[in-house]
Amino acid sequence: MSLRLTWGALVAMSLLTAALVAAGPGRPWLVAGVLLLAGLKSRLILRSYLELRQSPSWARGFDLVLAMLLLAFAALALAG
Amino acid sequence: MWILIISELAVFSAGLLALLAVRLTDPAGFAEAQSHLHRLGAAVNTVVLVTSGYLAAEAARLAGPRPARARLLLGLAASLGAVFLWVKASEYADLFAQGIGTETHAFYTFSYLLTGFHAAHVLAGMILLLGVSWRPTPRAAGVAAAFWHMVDLVWVLLVPVVYLL
Repeated sequence: MSLRLTWGALVAMSLLTAALVAAGPGRPWLVAGVLLLAGLKSRLILRSYLELRQSPSWARGFDLVLAMLLLAFAALALAG
Repeated sequence: MWILIISELAVFSAGLLALLAVRLTDPAGFAEAQSHLHRLGAAVNTVVLVTSGYLAAEAARLAGPRPARARLLLGLAASLGAVFLWVKASEYADLFAQGIGTETHAFYTFSYLLTGFHAAHVLAGMILLLGVSWRPTPRAAGVAAAFWHMVDLVWVLLVPVVYLL
């Protein structure tokens, strides 16, 4: 993905996050949607801006850690 | 640079997990406190930072063949960092005007600490980008851009926890 496309996708997902919050869904949907979008944005920044796509094994490692972190965020956010 | 990036991500992740864990002791209080933050400002700042990240990435790509263009892009990326800090400062000013400080509620202790520490990284990144723009070699521009992307990445993970959830 080109840098410009990455930027466009990041801006689009940021606007989607704002729209999701404004729509005011139930908390489980809000938590899932917001964290999913944050995860996708993070993955894009890592792979495109930080060029981890050139190192697939490191990219997979970051994906795993990121997924675990976001699942922990979700579990704590929904437990309250 | 990757050691620094991983270390910073670990520190911010621990802080965000701690915020969510302490939130379990007073969900209603945390939600009320969070409602005073500027969600719109956070959304604007997200677009500002990812745009700045794009400019820094382009600068790193062009530092070899087109150093003058890279210099301009690095300057623009740093300028957007200043926009980010201005938006953040206006939010802090509004909170202070409401009498909200770090001791007002546990939520604010975390939010000021995490967003303030992040803002300090934005300032450091701006200095780095401007320093490199003086003479943008591919290696120097790449390192400065990588630091800037780390700042961007931390913000993308921080916003949901501090502002939205």
